Amino acid sequence: MSDLPTTPTVSASGLTLRYGGTAALDDVSVRLGEGVTGLLGPNGAGKTTLLRVLATAVPPDKGAFTVLGNDPGTTAGRQEVRRALGYLPQAPGFHPDFTAFEFVDYVAILKELTDRTARHREVRRVLDDVALSDVRGKRIKKLSGGMRQRVALAAALVGDPGFLVLDEPTVGLDPEQRMRFRELIARAGEGRTVLLSTHQTEDVAMLCHRVIVMVRGRVRFEGTPAELTARAAGRVWSSTERDPGAWAGWRTGTGSFRNVGEPPKDADLVEPTLEDGYLLTLDGEASEVAAA
Amino acid sequence: MTVMTRALLTPVLRTLPWRALAGGGATALLLAGIPRMLSGAPDPWLGLISLRGAALALALGLAFLLDDPARHITSAVPVRRPLRVGLRVALALPGAALCWTAAVFLVPEEARPPVGALTLEAIATAVFALASAALIIQRSTATEPGVAVSTGLLSTAAAAFLLLPDGWALLVSPDDPRWTDTHERWAMLLTVALAVGTRACVEPLRAWRLGSFRGRAQQAAPL
Amino acid sequence: MSTVLETPARAVEPAHPSRSWAPVFALARFEARELRMTIPLFGLSILYVAWIVWDTTQRQGDYPILQDVDRATPGMPLLIGLAVMLGVNRAVLRSRRCDTDRHFDVLVVEPWRRTVAHALSIVPAVLFTAVCVLVQFIWAALKPGAAGHGSPAELAVGPLTVLLFGMLGVLLARLFRSVFAAPVILVLLLFGMLFVAPSSGSNWTSWLGPVVTESGSNPLPSDLLERPAAWHALYLVGLGLTLAVLAVLVSGGRTTVVKAAIAGSVALTVVGVVGQSAGTPAGSTPARDRATNAPEKVQTCLKRGGSTYCAFPEWTGRTADWAEVVDRVQNLAGGSAGGERLTVRQRIDATYGLTSDTLISPSTTPGQVTVGTSWGGNRVPEFAAAVASVLVAGNEKAGSSVCDARMVTIMWLALGGESDPMTALRNVRLDDSVSGSAIVLSPTESMSMSAEQTRIVVELLKKPRYSVAGKVKAKWTELTSPRTTTARVAELLGVPAADKSAAKAEADGDSCAE
Repeated sequence: MSDLPTTPTVSASGLTLRYGGTAALDDVSVRLGEGVTGLLGPNGAGKTTLLRVLATAVPPDKGAFTVLGNDPGTTAGRQEVRRALGYLPQAPGFHPDFTAFEFVDYVAILKELTDRTARHREVRRVLDDVALSDVRGKRIKKLSGGMRQRVALAAALVGDPGFLVLDEPTVGLDPEQRMRFRELIARAGEGRTVLLSTHQTEDVAMLCHRVIVMVRGRVRFEGTPAELTARAAGRVWSSTERDPGAWAGWRTGTGSFRNVGEPPKDADLVEPTLEDGYLLTLDGEASEVAAA
Repeated sequence: MTVMTRALLTPVLRTLPWRALAGGGATALLLAGIPRMLSGAPDPWLGLISLRGAALALALGLAFLLDDPARHITSAVPVRRPLRVGLRVALALPGAALCWTAAVFLVPEEARPPVGALTLEAIATAVFALASAALIIQRSTATEPGVAVSTGLLSTAAAAFLLLPDGWALLVSPDDPRWTDTHERWAMLLTVALAVGTRACVEPLRAWRLGSFRGRAQQAAPL
Repeated sequence: MSTVLETPARAVEPAHPSRSWAPVFALARFEARELRMTIPLFGLSILYVAWIVWDTTQRQGDYPILQDVDRATPGMPLLIGLAVMLGVNRAVLRSRRCDTDRHFDVLVVEPWRRTVAHALSIVPAVLFTAVCVLVQFIWAALKPGAAGHGSPAELAVGPLTVLLFGMLGVLLARLFRSVFAAPVILVLLLFGMLFVAPSSGSNWTSWLGPVVTESGSNPLPSDLLERPAAWHALYLVGLGLTLAVLAVLVSGGRTTVVKAAIAGSVALTVVGVVGQSAGTPAGSTPARDRATNAPEKVQTCLKRGGSTYCAFPEWTGRTADWAEVVDRVQNLAGGSAGGERLTVRQRIDATYGLTSDTLISPSTTPGQVTVGTSWGGNRVPEFAAAVASVLVAGNEKAGSSVCDARMVTIMWLALGGESDPMTALRNVRLDDSVSGSAIVLSPTESMSMSAEQTRIVVELLKKPRYSVAGKVKAKWTELTSPRTTTARVAELLGVPAADKSAAKAEADGDSCAE
C-alpha cells in the first residue's frame, strides 16, 4: 500500500470505540491528505462511527487524532476543528418548518458566521452550488428526498470548511443527481480534505484518489483505487456455467458468469474492476493469501 | 448578549417544540383551574393536588424542550452545547414562569397551598426532566429524548407517590409534620438535578458512555 | 407470455391463506418482547417484584387478613399499567415516528390488524401482573397467622387495570398521532379522577375509577365488606374491551365482528356500571349491625386454659395467639387475678363499612377483654395492656380510666413477660417514647401514663423478671388499690424514689386531675 502523496491533513492513530460489548472501532489508524478519500466497507464495518469520531460528534474511548494541526482532545482544539469542519451525517434530521435557506442559515450561525450580509451571501452561494437556488424559499417538509440530501450537503459546505466528512451522501439519489453530487464533491476536494463513506464502488472509482476499506472495526486496506483494483488482477474470470469454486459469481447481462476468487487453471481471465478488488478484500482468506 | 446569541435567537426560537410546550402549559392551566370550576367550598387538598398536577404537566412539556431533529447536523459545530441548550432553556423560561404564576393564581386563595414550597417542587420537577433529557443527549445518539423523558418522569412521579417510604416521602400535605423535611429533600433533589443537568451540557472530550440502552436511545448508534 | 412460465416456483409459499390470524399473533409476540424491554416497564417490573418481597416479609405483615390483602394488590399494578400504556402508545406510534407508515400501510397485515396485534401485545404484561398478584396473595395466605378469605374479583382488579391502561394507550395512539398526547392525557386522567371521585368507594362515581381502595383502620369479616367487586371486575373487562375495539375501529377495522364486539363490550361495561352502582350499601345493614352490637350471635367461643375466647368465624385460628398473651400477663398477676376466668371477645364497629374509623367503647362486663381484628406488631402489647387493665381494675371501662399508681402495675403486667419489654413499651406508647408522660394504646380507649409512672415502669422492666414478680404477687392488694400513691408503689417494688420536686408533682398527678 502506497504512502500519501502529500502531507497528511488528518491523521488518527489507535482509535477505539466500543458500544456495549462490540468494538465499532478497533485500533484504527488512518491518514488523510488533500483530495477525496473514499471509505468503503460492508454494513456494520464501523464507517459511520469513524466518521462520527473524526467529526468530533463522539469522543473515542482510546486513541488520538489531529485535524489540520488541531487536537480535538482539548476543548480549544475541538473548537478549532469544528470551525474547519463540514459534516453530513448519515441520517441528517431537519426542522421541517424551516425553508432550505433558513436551515442552512441556521447552521451557518452555529458555525459562527455572525455577519448577516456575508452569511446570507455564503448561504446563497452553497445553495447555488448544490443547485437548490430555485427552491431555497420552500419549506423542507415539501422537498423531495434528494433535495433534502442536498440541503444537508449545503449545510456541510457552508462556511467553506477545510475538512469535509460526508456519510453516504449519494444514498437515495437518482443517477443524474448522483452525477451532480460527484461533480460537487470532486470540486469540494480541490484544496480540501474530503472523507466520504459509501457503499458505491463507482463513487470511489470516479471520485477518490485514495480509498480505505474497513471490516469489523478495523482498516483492511488503505491505498489508491488502482492498488485496490490491482488486488483482483488474475482473480476474475468468466465462464459459461456457474463456477462452484468461485468466492462470488453472478450471471451478467451477456449470459456468461463473472467469477471472483481463485481461478481454475484454464480460466478465461477478464479485466478486474475496483469492485472486484473490494470484494476480494472483504474475503478474509483471499486477502491473507494475496498479502503473503 | 453576544452577537452570536443574538443571531441564534430567532432560529432557536423557531426550533423549540412549541406544540409540546404549549400542550404542557395548557394542561397545567386546565388542572390548576379545576378547583375553581368545582362547586362547593374551596378544598385545600384539591388546591394542592391541582397545583402538583400543573407542575407535573409543565415538566412534561419541558421534557421535550431539548428535542432537536437536526441534532446530528447541529452537534458538530463550533457553537458549544452549553450555549445551545442554555438558549433553549432561557427562551422557554419566561413562558414556563408565566404559566406557573397563572396556575398558582388560578387556585382560589383559600385553597392555595404554600406557594414557595410548591414552586420549589415545580422547579425541581422541571429541572429533573431537563437534566434527564440533557443526560440522554450526552450519553446517546438520540435526537429527541422527550418521549423517553416524559415516560420516565411520569413513572418516577407515580412511583414516588406510591412507593417512597415514610422517611423519604416527597409528596405530603402542608399540615403534615414532615412538610419542612420533605422540602429540604426537594431542595436537595433540585440541587442534584441542577448539578447533573449542568454537567450533562458539557460535551465530553473522552468517552464515558453507558451502553446504549434500548428504548432510551431513539436511534441505536449507527455503525 | 413465456416469461411468466419461466419464473421459477418460489421455494417457500406462504403457509397460510391471507386474513389468517397467525401473522397478528406473531406480530403481537414481537411487540410484547419490545414492550417488555422498554426501560420504564422493565424497571418497574423489577421494582414490583422487590416490593412484593419487601411488603410480604416485613414484620407487620405476619398476620395478614386476606380480605384486606386482596384489596391492597392493585397499587403497584397501577404503576405497571402506566408504564404499559406509555410503552404501547410509543410502539403504535413508532412506525409514524420513524416514517415507515408509508411502507407499512400497504403491507398485507392492514393497520387495523396491527392494532389488534398491539392490543394483544399487552397480554403478557397482564399475565405477569396476574402472576405477581397471585404470588403476593398466596404468599400471604400461606403465613401461619393468615386469617380471612380473599376474593378472586378483587385480585383481578390489578391485572385488569394493566389491561385497561394498555388498551387506552393503543386507542390514544390511534386517535392522536403525537407521542406527547398520551402522557398529557394520562396526567389529566389521573388527576381528573382524583378530583371527580376520591377513591373511597363512597358514591357511585368513585367506582368508575379502576382501583377503589377503601381502607379503614380495622379489618372487617369478609361477609361484611359488601363491595361490588365482581361487578367492578366486569366493568373493567368491558371498558378495556371497549377501548380496544374502538382502537381497531378507528384504525379501519369495520367488519361485522368488530361492530358486534363494540356493541357487546359497551353492553358489558354498562351492566358493570349499573351492577357496581347498586352494589355498595350507603349505611348499615342487618349483618353489620349484628356484628357491631351483638357479636356473640355470630361468634364462635373456644375455651383455652381458664379463659374463653370468642372470635368471628374467620379469626378462630388466632385464639391461641391471644391465649398466649393472656397467660403471660396472668402469670405475673397476684391475688385472685392470677386465676381469674377472663372472656376475650373480638369486637368491631362495622356500621359504616370499611371506612368507619370509630373507636370501640370499652366493655363494662367484668372480666371481658376486647380484642380487635388485626394482630401482630404493636397490636400485641396493646392487647396485653388491655388484659392487664382488666386484671387490675376489674373491667375495661374501669381499666381505661385508671390514671393513678395502678398504671405502674398494669404496664408491668402487660410488658414484664415480653422478651424485649423496652421495645414493647416504646411500641405501645403513642409517641414511641420511653420517658415522660404519654398515651398508652389499647384495643378500646387509650390510657395515660405520667412521667413518674413511666420512670418506675422503665426501672422495673430493667430488673430481672422474677424479683419483681415476687414483690408484685406479695403486695398485690396494695398495688391494685386506687388509694396507693405512686411513691408508695415505687417503694413497694423497690425502685429508688425520684427527687423531691418530681415526687411532689407526681403526688398531684395521683389525684387524676390531669
